[in-house]
Amino acid sequence: MTRWLVRRAAQGALTWAAAVVALFLVVRLLPGDPLAAASELPPETRDALYRLYGLDQPLLTQLAHFLSGLLRGDLGLSLVHGRPVTELLGAHLPATLLLGGAVLVADFVLAYWLGTRLAARAGGFEDRWTLRILLTGHALPPFWLGLILVWVFALGLRWLPAGGISDPLLASDASWIARTVDVGRHLVLPWITLLLTGLVVPLRHHREAVLETLDADWVRSARARGVPESAVLRRHAARAALGPLIVLLGLWMPMLLTGAVLVETTFAWPGLGWLMAEAVGGRDFPLATGCILLGAAAVVGGNLLSDLLQRLVDPRVRV
Amino acid sequence: MPRRVILLALLAVVPPCRLAAQDHGSIVIVSGQFPSQPIPTLTRGSADNDIADLLFLRLARLGPTLVTAGDRDFVPQLARRWERRDSLTLVFELDPRARWHDGAPVTARDVVWSFARAKDAAVAPAHATALRWVQSITADGDRRLVVRFAKGYPTQFFDATWQLPILPAHLLDTIPAAQLGASGYARMPVGNGPYRYVRSAPGQLVELAAVPGHFLGSPRIHRVIYRAAADGDARINLLLSGEGDGLEQLALRSQQERFLGNAEFRLVPVPSFQVGYVLFNQRDPADRTAPHPILADSLTRRALVLALDRVTIVASLFGDAATVPEGPASMSLWARTSGPTLAQGDTARAAALLAASGWTDHDGDGVRDRDGRPLRLSLIYPGTSPSRRLAAQLAQEQWRRVGVQVELAPLEFPAYVERRNGRNFDLDLTVTNQDPNPAGLTQGWSCGGGTNLGSYCDPAVDSLLARAEAAADGGRALWQAALRRIDRDAPAAFLFAPANVIAVHRRYDGVVLRPEGLWSGLAGWRVTPGRQLPRDGTGAP
Repeated sequence: MTRWLVRRAAQGALTWAAAVVALFLVVRLLPGDPLAAASELPPETRDALYRLYGLDQPLLTQLAHFLSGLLRGDLGLSLVHGRPVTELLGAHLPATLLLGGAVLVADFVLAYWLGTRLAARAGGFEDRWTLRILLTGHALPPFWLGLILVWVFALGLRWLPAGGISDPLLASDASWIARTVDVGRHLVLPWITLLLTGLVVPLRHHREAVLETLDADWVRSARARGVPESAVLRRHAARAALGPLIVLLGLWMPMLLTGAVLVETTFAWPGLGWLMAEAVGGRDFPLATGCILLGAAAVVGGNLLSDLLQRLVDPRVRV
Repeated sequence: MPRRVILLALLAVVPPCRLAAQDHGSIVIVSGQFPSQPIPTLTRGSADNDIADLLFLRLARLGPTLVTAGDRDFVPQLARRWERRDSLTLVFELDPRARWHDGAPVTARDVVWSFARAKDAAVAPAHATALRWVQSITADGDRRLVVRFAKGYPTQFFDATWQLPILPAHLLDTIPAAQLGASGYARMPVGNGPYRYVRSAPGQLVELAAVPGHFLGSPRIHRVIYRAAADGDARINLLLSGEGDGLEQLALRSQQERFLGNAEFRLVPVPSFQVGYVLFNQRDPADRTAPHPILADSLTRRALVLALDRVTIVASLFGDAATVPEGPASMSLWARTSGPTLAQGDTARAAALLAASGWTDHDGDGVRDRDGRPLRLSLIYPGTSPSRRLAAQLAQEQWRRVGVQVELAPLEFPAYVERRNGRNFDLDLTVTNQDPNPAGLTQGWSCGGGTNLGSYCDPAVDSLLARAEAAADGGRALWQAALRRIDRDAPAAFLFAPANVIAVHRRYDGVVLRPEGLWSGLAGWRVTPGRQLPRDGTGAP
């Protein structure tokens, strides 16, 4: 197991490094002026800015500079914000992890529980209507659903805040309970938006997998041994059907970081998705590269995690 | 009797104290940008400038007329008085009451150091360009400064005062210029303005607090939260849900309509320095040594302008919050004219001019042609700008009516800038932010101007601009003559000069919003007594 883990981690690191170099070059080959924000300055002033940020250097020199900085943990200064990229990533990552993590956990816990339940009631009223409602949610553009929720709960009823991650006017000496409640209130609407639009995907995967296992020989023999139906469902069928859900979890890990751009924008959520969209859209090369670096790490990490979980859950994979 | 006197004395004293306590408050300003670097020489956008205006003072600020020539319309800030020694020398005396937020006095050394830093082209290229005529600045003791210019010109005072808020030399002279952006000072700047920096949460907000007993007056708005939300709808939602008090850039009519009938907010149009126009490229984008096959002809350009009903375009986009400019003149440019005579357009005259230039519809397909070449042009603009998208669509339709086919090319902003700066376009729908000083017109509209991307050249305009720039009286008439001449030459169709429409909560009193620094007058605001909200009490002194 340890040798396998080391080998997979080394493969993952190599994949990550190759992806970072490739994406570094791709971002810089995109058409567009990285100093677009300074477009009204005279040419000589713009030339001076190009020199200041090293943008006049050949691409390979820029890459060498980036890689040497990466080894020192220095990703350079953002062209748009003028602040160290590591500082910006560090400031925006927690908000993304909070929203993405909350959505991911809820998606997969609910998908497991509800998918198993619906599989046991396949074709029934609850199964049909739950799937219809969730498919409708999935069909709605997340930003549109978000706007509707803001319209009702923030502007109309004023029960919940319309945006941000916390109340900027909360007293600096507020207790941790007050702060947690405040963040929780801000989290509700973006969380519901992402949950309603995404839940049906893992849920359907798990439901179908459970339905398949319910016909499997070992499940029939468990029933024949007199194991109660609820135990057959939870202990035998649902657990054995976890494979697709685990694979999906690995694939969804990058979404945790960058998958909520529109929702983050709708709710003024200060996360990485918004930062990355701004960086790529504004050709802020150092910041875009920093975001890509994290995104690539999430892809590689997600795959590694999913492989690891598969091995832990399913003995057949180990064999 | 003595008891009555004491009682009267108490009555005389107590009410003002209570009033003073009741008119303080807080403000949450919602903006589209996060102020990452609100430090002079590092600022990168309007949000940075908004905060820098509250943290840092200049030697003097522009007065309400916004006239940049001479010194008559300037208001003292760090300098309490000044005098002209000769045509090349100004002498300033600093206000001895001025202090940095750490308690240190503001000295002539701070000013000298700030100018030296800003004039270093390797560190602050934009400032170095703006201050190129400031030859030297020297301290004469702790309080006096001698500024010497390389040549005589009417906006010397503007350059010496407006171009650069002063930085604290005692805190910055040990930080290498290249490391300032990543320094501890950049995370917690220390200024000398009416507000001090309290905290920032990157991507979310910046908080400022009033400086009690500031030498220019104690602000009644004691707490300022500057909150960022990238999306326009999200910003309006924050206000309408009661989570914000002020919001800028509500230029579009559709945005303003969301506040119709709202009892909490009022809309305040503030003249802006923006001007929007369709620039005509007079050189062939495929071969820049050759004239443009369509747009090099002044009659055709004039016809394109006349074909546009700019009054309708402005009304559709901005309602009452914009005007049609004559030439490239924003609403706030002190040298602007009263407006063009034919803003409504004249399609009959436009058609006649096109016909006179040889453009007629020979094949009856609705598009004019000449020598087998259709009158077809491409219009580039940033697709992310709602105002430009709408303006482009309206202009396209109006040009279609006179037989001109315009293909719209919305682009991502950096790609748009690359096309524009590479002069790779026929028509460019652009919006520029002008400098308060009309001398900036020379860059864009003189034959050799660095940002003259349409390759417009009229020696008569060059002459007018040069004479206006040197005119001892500021040259208002000459600037206006140049603007009229540019308008008549039609190097562009000047579409709109919009106001910056601001939504402000109605509980504020004494609201002053300045075109050159929107929130810089915040120190004079107060909350109408009796209309405070619970949040006005939070963080109260």
